[in-house]
Amino acid sequence: MHRALLEPYQHQHSAIHRLSAGVKAGGALAFVLVIVLLPRAAWTAYAAAGALLLLLAGLSRIPPRALARRLLLVEPFALGVALLSLLQQDGLRVFAATLTKSTLCLFGMVLLSSTTRFSALLRVLWRIQVPALLVTTLALMHRYLFLLADETGCMVRARRSRTFSRDRASVWRSSASVIAQLFVRSSERAERIYAAMCARGWKT
Amino acid sequence: MRAGLEDVNALEVRDLGYRYPDGTAALRDVTFTVAEGERVALIGPNGAGKSTLLLHLNGLLPEHPAAAPAVRVFGTPVAEPHLTGIRARVGLLFQDPDDQIFCPTVWEDVAFGPLQLGLHGPELATRVARVLDQVGLKGFDERLPHHLSRGEKRRVCLAGLLACEARLLALDEPTSDLDPRGRRELKGLLESLAVAQVIATHDLELVVELCPRVIVLDRGGVVAQGPTAELLADEELMLAHGLERPHILRHRHPH
Repeated sequence: MHRALLEPYQHQHSAIHRLSAGVKAGGALAFVLVIVLLPRAAWTAYAAAGALLLLLAGLSRIPPRALARRLLLVEPFALGVALLSLLQQDGLRVFAATLTKSTLCLFGMVLLSSTTRFSALLRVLWRIQVPALLVTTLALMHRYLFLLADETGCMVRARRSRTFSRDRASVWRSSASVIAQLFVRSSERAERIYAAMCARGWKT
Repeated sequence: MRAGLEDVNALEVRDLGYRYPDGTAALRDVTFTVAEGERVALIGPNGAGKSTLLLHLNGLLPEHPAAAPAVRVFGTPVAEPHLTGIRARVGLLFQDPDDQIFCPTVWEDVAFGPLQLGLHGPELATRVARVLDQVGLKGFDERLPHHLSRGEKRRVCLAGLLACEARLLALDEPTSDLDPRGRRELKGLLESLAVAQVIATHDLELVVELCPRVIVLDRGGVVAQGPTAELLADEELMLAHGLERPHILRHRHPH
């Protein structure tokens, strides 16, 4: 479960997968820019963009269910933002446009992340001179996210194997201590990683 | 005057002491040398100071280096301004490979050290390919660290050190949590490397198989050092310091 959530890349042999990461990242960025800049009521353009994405998704040979699942996973965030627009004047129209725009952009990103390895994207960021600190942080985050997920899984299992009551308060208490433990472990690991980086010549 | 490299020890530790920030003494008057190309085991109970000692070998400890450093690597004092050079020469293998492999892919992780040393392009690619081949991980370039087995991770770590052309390896429990095959492969790999090695371990069979000399550390001090067969056969000494005489020595009677 954790793994599937954290690892968007889906390996397939397709033309889309073979495209260079730079082209895909550039294309995705341009796509997002165009969608964002389109006027609010450009419904034909939205439909065309949607059709383009569906075509690319088909070409990528990734099972539609997998793509849909990922999209649904991030959709609540878009929905949350769109809901806020209901409060303003002419709210319903703004809501529809915001939701459509953000869904298209998210779909574009889901497609990018499903067909391109994260490490390849990082290399693109590095090449186009995104600040090194940011790229390094992203790389480290990606590297240790899985470990953190595994560690959480282990701790939750260990807790559960010794939890005998169904009392809600005690479940909350034990979850809180798992989170606290995780925080301490992560900060200790961060220190060890930093030492390992220095040991191989990382300059401060 | 610096003597020629051939008559300089790979490692010289003289009267090394260290206190943790909370004041507890972790190392006391530690003194030993390791010759070029020699393999030495560092044994002792948990908490004896083995890991702390290894961190001193490339200047990760102490936090505030003394004016007269107690550790010399190939004759060079482990202190600024030599630290960058020292860290390339001393390859430190950490206990948990997940701490040591911090890059997104195997290739990038192995390339990390040489990149810091200023290697680029084809030269870097050749170096990485060579060490990956050396540790038996040809074709692992694009693999993601979290998909590797424990033994494979350990070998990626080792490749990362070899890529810096380390001439002294400081290994912290290299065989802990490896399965028998992983352990055998790692042992073969360490045996094939002609560089000086300090191996901190609880794996006494490995010590017998790999290291002609041992240093016994307990409560931060060196309690004995000498030929492996002699020290490990000393039941009294072993038991007094949380160790035991390995089976492999019991069964090595001449028939």
